[in-house]
Amino acid sequence: MTDEQIRKEQETIERSKKDPKAFGEIYETYFDRIFNYLYRQTDDEELAGDLCSQTFVNALNHLNKYEFRGFPFSSWLYKIAGNEVNKHYRKNKGKKIFSIEELKVKELVEQANEGWDEEMVTQVIAYMNELPTEMVQVLELRFFEDKDFKEIAFILDITESGAKMRTYRALDKLRTQFNIKVKYNG
Amino acid sequence: MGKHEIRMRRQRLTARGTERFRNYGDVLKQHEQDKRIKKIVRVFIYFLAILVVIILIVMVQRWEKRERGKGKKVEVAIQNSECRS
Repeated sequence: MTDEQIRKEQETIERSKKDPKAFGEIYETYFDRIFNYLYRQTDDEELAGDLCSQTFVNALNHLNKYEFRGFPFSSWLYKIAGNEVNKHYRKNKGKKIFSIEELKVKELVEQANEGWDEEMVTQVIAYMNELPTEMVQVLELRFFEDKDFKEIAFILDITESGAKMRTYRALDKLRTQFNIKVKYNG
Repeated sequence: MGKHEIRMRRQRLTARGTERFRNYGDVLKQHEQDKRIKKIVRVFIYFLAILVVIILIVMVQRWEKRERGKGKKVEVAIQNSECRS
């Protein structure tokens, strides 16, 4: 996002604090992204829809507490969305689900020697199932939501170095275990 | 070991797929409702606080009255014993 876009966004947010209808602009801008983020963490359209609505309601309810910290407003929305997902899984005591698009995985990963095959996909999924959930969360934000480490740290409430460490460890194992190189601009 | 499950999806979610969940009117309605509930709760808490203060004042006043009454009884008892002597 350019500085100009961030400035315009902040103006919209200030207007929304006095007039909630103005927040509709922010809603339309980020709805798809937040919905997809929630869908990737639930694999359930209806649930993602409910959590998405709840995310924007919470954002609107607490808009007066929002302070600009150098990130686009979307980072705050991702944070709220993440909290809603965690609340849902704590309440329902189920396993957390990550639903990722096969095409996206193929776009990100290039194999050093062989072509992409089903067995490799199964192995990568099995490997990611063994990773700690916190590592998968960081990978998901980095590679599927295209967030940088500063934003990831803000969204997950961890340090920037913590976010980097989790990513490097996961990618390192991918490289050594599967001979897979991830297109990564660090 | 992770406490999660990774699922690979073959299809991407399209904008049409998300359209039926897009409704800012509902979000606004929920926000207004939450605001109203917050206001009611705030008024109720203020009312409770005032009630507690009033009850405390009444209790203190009754206690003072009782103490004054006890003081008078002691005075009368002293006077009576002086008269007898």
